Amino acid sequence: LSRCLRSVMVAVPSSSSSGGTEPPPPLQYSLLLRYLVGEERRPRVWDPATFGGIPIPPKSEEQKMVERAMESCTFKAALACVGGFVLGGAFGVFTAGIDTNVGFDPKDPYRTPTAKEVLKDMGQRGISYAKNFAIVGAMFSCTECVVESYRGKSDWKNSVISGCITGGAIGFRAGVKAGAIGCGGFAAFSAAIDYYLR
Amino acid sequence: MDPLRAQQLAAELEVDMMADMYNRMTQACHRKCVPPHYKDAELSKGESVCLDRCVAKYLEVHERMGKKLTELSMQDEELLKRMQQGTGTA
Repeated sequence: LSRCLRSVMVAVPSSSSSGGTEPPPPLQYSLLLRYLVGEERRPRVWDPATFGGIPIPPKSEEQKMVERAMESCTFKAALACVGGFVLGGAFGVFTAGIDTNVGFDPKDPYRTPTAKEVLKDMGQRGISYAKNFAIVGAMFSCTECVVESYRGKSDWKNSVISGCITGGAIGFRAGVKAGAIGCGGFAAFSAAIDYYLR
Repeated sequence: MDPLRAQQLAAELEVDMMADMYNRMTQACHRKCVPPHYKDAELSKGESVCLDRCVAKYLEVHERMGKKLTELSMQDEELLKRMQQGTGTA
């Protein structure tokens, strides 16, 4: 703004040189400013190409909507939830496979369990691990996205803070001390993962 | 100064002003919001949120400064008019 007013002070004497020996008419800055930035400014179409930017085709409304949805915190949390579910299921089935207690029948401990019983037990354990992983993943992703939106920066502190919140929330059900340990442990874990990924 | 002349002058100046403002805004917001660690080509969530806020603040500051400047220049003109009237009658 100041640069333009300076250029006006230089331009006006030269533009009114047709008057001859008369002094140029005084410039009324308030009127000029009203047309420039005030109430009587006409709305214009802003095109970055004319301002010195790189000319790119404008994004359509649908494209903007889709991009906004994909970048939102809820979408990221849902993605982490689904991913956690799949990973937890695989992990649960795997641990059930190497566990000797699967299919154990408390009423008759010396009987070898049937294949159906073993598979049912493996499935149950897989589902239980999957639900846990899904909840933890969704919580961590949601808190990390919220913390990052609040801070406006993307560095290692986001995952540490959200790891502490998630671990604390999980451990808090067993008491305050367990919550603090959960916070510290999960924060350290996510810091290590972040260090490895960056 | 008549309004038509003012409007014409403003239309000429506006393109220059907007181009200058756009360039300064891009420079300032890039310096503040995008740290020089280029591990990823995409803008992360934090960076895009920061850029939204930076642009909004910059435009609001520009608007308020324009209004304040209009106010000040009106006060100056009143003062000048009163001074001229004072020397005219004296």
